[in-house]
Amino acid sequence: MKRNALTRRGFLATGAGGVLATSLGLHPALAAGTVNLQLSWLHSVQFGGSYIAKSKGYWSDQGLDVSLTPGGPNAPVEPPVVSGTALVGISAADYTAAAVAQGAPFKIIAVAMQKNPFAIASLPANPVREPKDLEGKKIGMALANTPVLKALCTLNDVNFDAIEVVPTQYDAAPLVAGQVDCLLCWATDLPVAMTMKGLDPVTMLMADFGYAVQSQTYIATEDSLANSRKELVELLRGEIRGWADYHKDTDAAAELTVKMFPDAGLDLETQKLQAKRQVPLMFSDVTDEHGFGWFTDESIAENIKTLALLDKPVTADLWDRSILEEIHAG
Amino acid sequence: MILSPARWRRPRTDWLRSIATALVALIAWEALARALAGTYLIAGPLEIASYLSDHAGLILRATGWTALAAAGGYVIGNLTAIALAAVAILIPGAARLISSLALIVFCLPLVATGPILRVLWGPGLGPQVTLAALAVYFTTFLPLQVGLRAAPPNWFDLVRSYGRGGWTALVEVRAMAALPYLIAGLQIAAPAAFLGALVGEFTGAERGMGVLTIRAMRSLDVAGTWSLATIAAAVSMLAHAGIGWLWRRLDDAPPPLILASLPDARTDRRWATRLNLILVVLVVIALWWLSMEFAGLNRFFAKRPDDIWAFLVTASGAADHRTTLFAALGQTLSLALPGYALGLALGLGLAIALLMLPALARAIMPLAVALRAIPIVITAPLVVVAMGRGATGTITITAVMTFFPTFIACYQGLKRTPAALIDLFESYAATRWERLTLVQFPAMLPAFFSAARMAVPAAILATTTAEWLATGHGIGGLMALTASTSDYGMLWSSVVLLALVAVAAYAAIERIERAVLRRYGAEQLVR
Repeated sequence: MKRNALTRRGFLATGAGGVLATSLGLHPALAAGTVNLQLSWLHSVQFGGSYIAKSKGYWSDQGLDVSLTPGGPNAPVEPPVVSGTALVGISAADYTAAAVAQGAPFKIIAVAMQKNPFAIASLPANPVREPKDLEGKKIGMALANTPVLKALCTLNDVNFDAIEVVPTQYDAAPLVAGQVDCLLCWATDLPVAMTMKGLDPVTMLMADFGYAVQSQTYIATEDSLANSRKELVELLRGEIRGWADYHKDTDAAAELTVKMFPDAGLDLETQKLQAKRQVPLMFSDVTDEHGFGWFTDESIAENIKTLALLDKPVTADLWDRSILEEIHAG
Repeated sequence: MILSPARWRRPRTDWLRSIATALVALIAWEALARALAGTYLIAGPLEIASYLSDHAGLILRATGWTALAAAGGYVIGNLTAIALAAVAILIPGAARLISSLALIVFCLPLVATGPILRVLWGPGLGPQVTLAALAVYFTTFLPLQVGLRAAPPNWFDLVRSYGRGGWTALVEVRAMAALPYLIAGLQIAAPAAFLGALVGEFTGAERGMGVLTIRAMRSLDVAGTWSLATIAAAVSMLAHAGIGWLWRRLDDAPPPLILASLPDARTDRRWATRLNLILVVLVVIALWWLSMEFAGLNRFFAKRPDDIWAFLVTASGAADHRTTLFAALGQTLSLALPGYALGLALGLGLAIALLMLPALARAIMPLAVALRAIPIVITAPLVVVAMGRGATGTITITAVMTFFPTFIACYQGLKRTPAALIDLFESYAATRWERLTLVQFPAMLPAFFSAARMAVPAAILATTTAEWLATGHGIGGLMALTASTSDYGMLWSSVVLLALVAVAAYAAIERIERAVLRRYGAEQLVR
């Protein structure tokens, strides 16, 4: 309901172009009762559990209609969540902390990736196996990620000034072409792409060296936590069931993903490998005991410590476990 | 020599020459790709062909979706441009205001508009269509404004002597005179619309060529990346050529006089200019404020004028904010200015060269269009490899983006020299060089300056995009940072600053234009 009102006012604002586009029927209206889950990236097996929940009816069983909205390079998750066009967004603890510092009323209500996927990828001939190896190397990364690298250096007593940062696009080509010695990237994408091309990259997961920042976190506004609890509980319950299935059979999740999004240009074998690679980031003893999405007080404490190094000071107020607790109680 | 339709007909040898040039280019490309094999930078024509045949369905569907959004944006954007230009002519007092608003809206960077459009439109093609429309309307609006004035004064006298007003003049005289200019604009708009739609998909689209491009680049899929770039270039070239064909069908007779310039060229009245400036600022602030309030956009990401005032002037960290912002702007301008100048020089130079060697024109023209059409996301890494990661790479990208519209405008301007003047020079057996410097060059000046103005926002957009994608420096890098830090105060301050810079640069070029035309083409400064 709210969406429609917003759209009507929206096209007034966008002017003649908007009016015409709307009358051409280019804007599909969402049905009432639909909630949006704003994903953080393009469709891929990264969100495999959500696709399982959707296709197996884990949401519709509860009477909830969930629409999965893809992200992209120019699609920050925070604006749609703060605007209420998405009930829940997939963010990360550092992004959420920054948004909260700017006045957004967000809480982290569940965590998909207990371990941060950031990694340093290198080639076997010139490997980076531990943070110390970074000294004297050329690293390709987005300059925006400088604080991440600095935090890793601080955590491991590495001299940051001994590393040469080369600004690159998010692409493995500079490493393969020998322009840089290593890359700052996610363990689940560029290294997977390199492996599929027959290269054998060395991947050093930053989470194994003290970089504790939860990733693929589910965020919702305080307003939703107060007024849309039922939908939040149903949404996360479906997610938990979907991701449990994912854990049991990652190949099936990859197959489903490729089938659901034939226009996304996904390669099945790549998706299968990516699906396997993200299991150790998402599942642990904690999730075995409490279920997918759970986070402990220790994890919160570690995150607060790393976020302070990233110049994003937060308190435990950033997290809210009440939805997960409600699901486990019921 | 009398200009006749025959001039447009192509002899068979030209076709052969075009095919030969294309073949040579393809072979050179394949050789380069093979030389660089293993670096994952370039795919050759053979690899691309095999990729396209393996993924025909996928690529076809993606092209269809992106082309659909581009076509929608193309129609909407160009209709908007026509409407704006008509209003600016019918209400002369509003011309300056409309031009300024059009320029400012055109300068809005994608990083700022993308998320807002996605929130407003929700899923679907909305943002792509809007961004395609935003990418085209300005480059049609500008030449149209020139074209609507490009008629001999006695025609207007005729309309007046029949006791008719501005509307009749618009329909009977101006619209006809503006047609070639409109088509020049439409031609430039075709690749721009496709790029706009493609980049619009970065705001979170389900499908399309932009989606596939991102995917391909991240999975070391060089064949895929280059296939997509090839298709994007091919679609743009087809659209460009199609409109060119239309032009040749319509444009049998050369116009009696080319001419052009600004609506209120005789502004010695300083106070009027100042009053206009104040009016523009007030209207911009009001529109900005009201549209965001109307759309109910959250202040967290849709900052209002007072938020920016606080961010830059009254808030506690305002001084720091200003320091960061101006340092970034300095970095950006130090690359944008040389890139812009280089692009203008190359565009002008190539246009002149091609006028002297018409056979070369037909070989080079498609290449120039292709260069413009290949998404900057794909070319940026290549340029970086060729030019290094320093200033040269960014300057090159800016120059390429500035070059294309300048080249097209200058080339058309040179070709539209009044036939009577050419005949006169022919009869005195003037050399080609004399004809160029004494007739064609002055006749081209309005088109050149119109391109120089048009290229201001293009240069700023190109530099900031290169910074966003490749270097992370400057104001483009600063704006990109806001995606991970939610620092929307900084984002909108950057937007305001960039708009101010664009307007100032635009005004400066207008001043130079007037000074130059007063010397070389006084007759082109009327109306």
